[in-house]
This record gives sequence, structure tokens and C-alpha cells, in this order.
Amino acid sequence: MENAVKEINNFKIECMGISKHFGEGNKKVDVLENIDLQVEENEFIVILGPGQSGKSTLLNIIAGLEMRTTGKVFLDGKEVTGSGPDRGLVFQKYMLFPWKTVFQNVELGLKLQGISKTKRREVAEHYIDLVGLKGYEKSYPHQLSGGMKQRVGIARAYANNPKVMLLDEPFGQLDAQTRYFMEEETERIWQQEKRTVIFVTNNIEEAIFLGDRVITLEGKLPGKMGAIYTVDLPRPRNYTDLDFLKLRSKITDATKLVL
Amino acid sequence: MADGKSSKQLLKYLPYISVLCFLLTWELIVDLNVVPNSLLATPIQVVKLFFYKLTNIQPDGSILIVHIITSLKEALIGYSLALLIGIPLGLAMGWFTLAEGFARPIFELIRPIPPVAWIPLTIFWFGIGITGKAFIIFLSGMVPAVINSMVGVRMTNPTYIRMARTYGAKDWEIFKNICIPSALPMVFGGLQVALAASWTTLVAAELIAADTGLGFLITMGRRLLMPDMILLGMVLIGLTGVIIGIIVDKIEKRLVAGVRR
Amino acid sequence: MSSTKEGLIGLSDSKKTFSFKGLFKNNYFLYALSLICFFLFWELVAVTFGKFLPRPIEVIDRVVYMFGHTLAGKTLLMHLWASLRRVFIGFAIATAIGIPLGLFMGFNKYVHAVVKPIFDLFKPMPPIAWISLAILWFGIGETSKIFIIVIGAVVPVVINSFNGIRLVDPDLYHVVKMLGGNHRDEIIQVSFPASLPAIFAGLQISLSMAWTTVLAAELVGAREGMGFIIIQGMNLSRVDQIIGGMFVIAITAWMISAVMTYLERWICPWKMQLKK
Repeated sequence: MENAVKEINNFKIECMGISKHFGEGNKKVDVLENIDLQVEENEFIVILGPGQSGKSTLLNIIAGLEMRTTGKVFLDGKEVTGSGPDRGLVFQKYMLFPWKTVFQNVELGLKLQGISKTKRREVAEHYIDLVGLKGYEKSYPHQLSGGMKQRVGIARAYANNPKVMLLDEPFGQLDAQTRYFMEEETERIWQQEKRTVIFVTNNIEEAIFLGDRVITLEGKLPGKMGAIYTVDLPRPRNYTDLDFLKLRSKITDATKLVL
Repeated sequence: MADGKSSKQLLKYLPYISVLCFLLTWELIVDLNVVPNSLLATPIQVVKLFFYKLTNIQPDGSILIVHIITSLKEALIGYSLALLIGIPLGLAMGWFTLAEGFARPIFELIRPIPPVAWIPLTIFWFGIGITGKAFIIFLSGMVPAVINSMVGVRMTNPTYIRMARTYGAKDWEIFKNICIPSALPMVFGGLQVALAASWTTLVAAELIAADTGLGFLITMGRRLLMPDMILLGMVLIGLTGVIIGIIVDKIEKRLVAGVRR
Repeated sequence: MSSTKEGLIGLSDSKKTFSFKGLFKNNYFLYALSLICFFLFWELVAVTFGKFLPRPIEVIDRVVYMFGHTLAGKTLLMHLWASLRRVFIGFAIATAIGIPLGLFMGFNKYVHAVVKPIFDLFKPMPPIAWISLAILWFGIGETSKIFIIVIGAVVPVVINSFNGIRLVDPDLYHVVKMLGGNHRDEIIQVSFPASLPAIFAGLQISLSMAWTTVLAAELVGAREGMGFIIIQGMNLSRVDQIIGGMFVIAITAWMISAVMTYLERWICPWKMQLKK
């Protein structure tokens, strides 16, 4: 019986018929309409959409921070209720604890799970090193640049050994050059320790650079499923590669049509 | 969802219930002699005294309205002076080096002195009349007025200043047309603070040396062992403070109508 | 310095040539000039109207005298300590009551709905207005003074503690949830540390409020304390004592404020950075 169930739900993450609205009556705002999503294990999915397309809400629903109005979300075949370290979340505003050092921020999840001090140290240091912040363990967030802060955010989520990494426009607050750098870092980190990733962005280049598949949400509220693009290019990708540019052009045109 | 609705109702009425319970408890602990009437008057007694004192000059020498007007007079004179002198001074200090250089040290000498500490000196100089009280209130209101005005000017967006300079505007013109309007929100913020400070200091001054005024009423209440008079004075002080505050707020809203933050 | 005026970096000439106009544009020169004028003016008035104003040197003399000699049985430092002792006790009680109350109000909507209206009723009354009631209840001793100090000091503590909790970025709670924390973790890991800067700001206001209140209480009736010193100076027509007392009072207020600022830097180092 167990095997049969596994056959049907062999996706890492599955969303079925997700809809969400806020408010009631004439103040009702439909944010998402009938979203269906399937993500395979260790796949890097990018959800692409302009501002106000409900993509952050969708991510929050998958993360368990928001309740969907209709539909279901499955992780490894089990329905998702509430938040937890199995779905690591990286926030756009970093959301580091300013009163904790980099090390304390990264180890917090482990601490809350009751893991021993030595093991925590080992894991935290590993991930701080993985994101390239070795030596900054004792620094405070206010001493770090935007890119560094976000790397702490990534390490913090990774340290809890999540099944899925959810990133909500993580580089939105960074300047263009830092952004390129962080995109490359993300690629590197993911290659070193593969996870299933759902990455939300409004930047088409970023989506093509990072994603195995790019799922677009259409422009206006409520967010509806748009086209899904498979990015077949070899990794690591090249922003100026001809195929890259072709795909970028294709997606850009498609988005313009809706807007 | 039904639970959500009823808890929302509860939250809405809870404040009123709370105040009612408070007044009731207050009334009862005196009526039931948990606290002797010599120490605490009931709300009803306070209200009775209020109506009595509207027309009766006993036992302290003046009817209620005289006390209220005296306090208001002293407060308003001092407060207006504080604003009239403090705001222009503060604005100038924010912009003109000359003003800041001269006024700042003197201001910094005066600032750490708590306004109530001026009371003995003021009484020594001016006696217990209106002049003295107005002077203390002036001092206590001036400090926040100056500080807020000065900071308001300092916070002017430098981009506007640079822009004005490219048009060849002179120092005084920039001050008048850019700095002052942009400082207004902070100035108005200072008004309320100055008012609260003034009112507090007035009460203290009247407690110590006065023959009329709400603070005097409180002191008399103690001397005559009349807790209802003490409480009446306290309630009126609180009420008057609130009313003046609301009036200042309304005036402020009128004046700031067009200015955006 | 005076950068409001510049609006443009590097506007002033880098070549330093001496000019009177330049001198008058220098803040420090003006400060010094201002202070000198102030004291000269004071001296002048004091010499002319000796009865109303002592010379600056006379004030200093009196302060030194009070250090070494007793006034109503106590030296200056003992009086200062009497006032400070009352402040500390009142402040400690106010903090012990105020922080939990404010936090509780911030966590629980019902507690807030019950407490806030009563709080708002009492807030407009200056703490010193309670003095007569306090003396009626407790006499002229320490209790009545500490009672008023507590009333005055508790208000900023409660307000700031309450705001501290209320203004915490809700996303921080999401982070704790995501990391697998329960409700208790939310409070320990987020609520307390995040509200600490606001609570501390409340403590600062509260302490300076306590200092003002103790003085007012001592002015009304006391046998010792800084308020006593200046009111006695008034009663004995010793203006040098009044001004000398005010001087010590001001310095104490300044020192309290400086200590609190230093403590803030130590307890909430990240907040200072945000202020920049």
C-alpha cells in the first residue's frame, strides 16, 4: 500500500488547486487562483512574476506561514500544515536577529531543536563556510553588507537540513553587481549541497540563470499559472550566451503581452 | 468564527467596563469603610464639591472658576512666551552659525536644570504672584520648543538646499523658504511636549507657593484635611491639561493642513 | 559642523586665511565668546544688584562650603545621596511593576483593554499633583515621596514596554516559526530582545522623570535632599545656596543621563548603529 501511494505522489512538492483571497465582501482581494505545481527532488524551480502577482503569497503558503483558501500542498506526499525547518525560508528583508552574531543566527534553528552544543558548532561552522563567510562568525548583522546578510540568511535556513529551500526574492534589496555575484554564489552553493529549491523573483535573467524550470505567474492579481519554461542550458549558465538571450527574449515578450 | 466575533465585542466594551468597575470599586471601598473617609473621598463627594465650589468661595477663599482661570492664565502666558521666543530662537540656531554659537552654550547650561528646580529662585526673585509662575513655565516650555525647532531645521533635506543654491538663493532666503516650512512638523511635535512640561511645572509651583490656582486647591485640601478637595484639584488638573492639549492639537492640524511630512 | 548650510561638500575654501569674518563663523570660537560674555554679564549684574544675584565665585564658595559643613545635620553629599536614594528606590519599584505590566499589555489584548483606559485616566495628571494625597496618607516621610516617584516613573516604563512589544517586526516571529520554534520560543527569542531598546528608552525617560519628581516632592516638604537645600536657601534668603544647589542638581541630572546613554551602548549595541 505504501509503495502504491509513493508512486502517485513522487514529487517533492506538489500544489493542487491553490487559491487564496484576503478580506471579505467588497473588500475581498483575490491573490491566487488555481495554482498547480509539481516540483521534483533536487529540482531548482523559479517562480517568475512581476510585482503584485501573488508569488510571495504562494511561497508563504508552501512555507506554511499563510493558510490557503482552497487546495492542498504536499511535501513528500504529506500535507503541509504550519511552518517548520523542513522548509527553510530565506526572506527578502534578511530578517536576521540584530542582537545575535552571525554564528548565533545560523545555529538558532539547531538550538531550538535541542541539538547539542558541539554538534551545533560543527554544523553552523560548516554552513557559514559554505556560504563564504568564514571568519565572520562573531560579527553582528549591522556590521555586514546586504549580500553578506543574505548569505547568513541562506546559511541559517540550510543549517536545519531542510527538505526544501524557499527563497522569496532574496536579492531584491541588493544593487545590480552584488546581485550578479549572489546569483553565482547561489548556483555554487546549490551545486555543492543539492536541495529542492523554489526561488521567487521578478528578474527574468535571474530566473533563467538559476532555474531548471521557470514557472511564470501572470501579471495582474489574482495570480494565475502562466507558461512554464524548461531551461535546458548547461550549468553554470552564461548571461551572454546566445541561447540564454533567446530564452530571455522569449519570456520577456510573453510577459509584455500580459502586461 | 463565532468565537472571533464575540471576543471582538468583548474587546470593544472592555475599556468601558474596566473604567466603570474602577469607579465602582473606588466608591465602595470608602462607603464600606475599607478606607476611611478621612483619607479618601468618593467620586460622588468629589462631584458634589465641584458643584458646591462653582459658586461658593468657602473654604479656601475663591470660587472654582477663579482658580481655574488663574492656573490657565499663568500657564498660557508662560507657554505663549516660551513658543514666541523659543521657536524663532531654535529655528535660527539650526541655521545660522552666529545664533547657534552664541545661544548654544547658554542653552546647554540651562537645559540640565529640571524646571522645578527654578521654583525657589523664582519665588525669591518675583514672589508668589503671576509673574513668577509665568517665568517658570516659560523656562520649562522653552527648552523643548528650542530643541525641536533646531532639530527641525537641521533635518532639512540637503538636496533642497543645494537646489536652492543653484538658483543663487541667499542664506536668509533659503532659511525663510525652505528650512522653516520643512521644520514645521518637528516644531509642532515640540508644542505638545512643551505644553506637558509647562503644565507639570505650573502644578508644582502652585503647590509650593500660591494663593489661588488648582495647585493651591490641592494644598488647601490637605491643610483642611479635605480629601475631596484634593481629589477635585487633581481631577481638574488632569482634565484641563487634556483639554488644552486637544485645543493645541486642533490648532496644529489647522496650521499643518497643507504641509506634508 | 554647520553642514546644513553647506549643502555641498567641499564648498569652503581649503586655503586657511585668517579673517575676522571667518572667526565669527567658527562655532567653537563663538561658544567660548558666548560663555565669557555670559559670566561677565552675570558678574556685572551680581555686583550691581548684590541682593538678588550672587557673584559666580560666591556660588562656588557656597557649594564648597556645603561639601564640608552640615546643613540641618547633613553635608551636601549626604543630601545628594538622600535624594538619589529616593530616586533609586522609586525607580526600582516602578521598573519592577512597569516592565511586566507593559509587556503583559503588549502580549495580551484583554489585559490591554482593561488596563489602558485606567492608565489614560491617570496619565494627564502630573505626578506631583499626587503629593497632597500622598502626604495625607503617608505623612511627610520617605514613603510619600517614594510613592509619588513611583507614580511618575511607572508611566514611561509601561508605555515604552508596551510599544516595544507592539512594534516588533512580525516577520521576526515568522523566522522563529520557520526554525521550528514554539510559542514560548517566540517570546524568548524575539519579543524580549527586540523590545529591549524601547524598554531601555522608557527607563531613561523614567529615570529623569524620577529625578524631577523627587525634587518637586522635596520642595513641598522634606528635611533632607537637594530640594530641601534650595528651598531652605529661599527661606534663608541665601541666593548663593539656591543657585549652588541648582548647579549640583543640574550636574547630577546630566550625569544620570550620561550613564544611561553609556549603558544603552553596552546593552543594545545594534540599536546605536541603526540610529546612525
